[in-house]
Amino acid sequence: MGSRSSNRSDLERRALEIIINSREKGILQSELWRDLNASSREGSRISIKLEKKGLIKRRRELANGRWTYRLFTDRMPPRIDSIFDSPCVRCDDFYRCGYGGAVSPNKCVKLMRWILKN
Amino acid sequence: MSYIVDDDTLTKLADIIGGEDAVKIINVLKNSDEVTDEEIVEKTGVKLNDVRKILYKFYDHSIVSLRRTRDRKTGWFIFHWKLQTNQIEGYIKNLKLRVLEKLEIRLQYEKTHDFYHCGNSECERLTFEEAMENFFRCPKCGRPLQHFDNGEFIKKLQAKIEELRRELYG
Repeated sequence: MGSRSSNRSDLERRALEIIINSREKGILQSELWRDLNASSREGSRISIKLEKKGLIKRRRELANGRWTYRLFTDRMPPRIDSIFDSPCVRCDDFYRCGYGGAVSPNKCVKLMRWILKN
Repeated sequence: MSYIVDDDTLTKLADIIGGEDAVKIINVLKNSDEVTDEEIVEKTGVKLNDVRKILYKFYDHSIVSLRRTRDRKTGWFIFHWKLQTNQIEGYIKNLKLRVLEKLEIRLQYEKTHDFYHCGNSECERLTFEEAMENFFRCPKCGRPLQHFDNGEFIKKLQAKIEELRRELYG
């Protein structure tokens, strides 16, 4: 029983991971079960459960002449792209640099290059 | 259950914190419930010392949690590490807030100063006061200093600030 329930929660976790990675576009329910090697019955049960937990949303959609659901995340995962190439986040002085600190962003050449590159 | 972080974000975050090795380590953590340092070494090929250094960096930012047990045979401690995905959103938000703060400081500085430059990309810009002190000659290369238009920089700086504010406050 314990193992069955842990398999279920593992499947739930994997399903959520795939849905999250599909971001705004979402994923068709049928595609998801194919990726997970799950039956459509098991799949529907999990997606309903995830929706009830408020983690995903299901939207009805007509695909290849059949009604199915598109699944997508209810809460958008955080994105780091806007600061990923910022020199600040990799700078040894990141936590010291600021107003009136020993290190200031005012004269930082790397910061200027980063902004001008955008 | 809070698993609201996608692979791309997780990889980039690890890269920022500890580079290529950290990415390998986070991939192991992501696919395990709990894992020991030795198991990470086996799976990644990264040296034990480096694995521990990176794990402590993650730990400092609460990205991983740590549980300690004692090996009955040797008496040594065994460290069990677990990824805390629910802490990642907060950590990223904090990084963005700190970057935003720096950009706002810089914007204020750019708006309230006049700059001079010699045209040599290896030399720094000087403020009006600094240029005066140097008789409008570059202290590094000796070339005459010309007024530097920072309009484009200010525009792009404002755009980045707006982007971060939107992400942080909607």
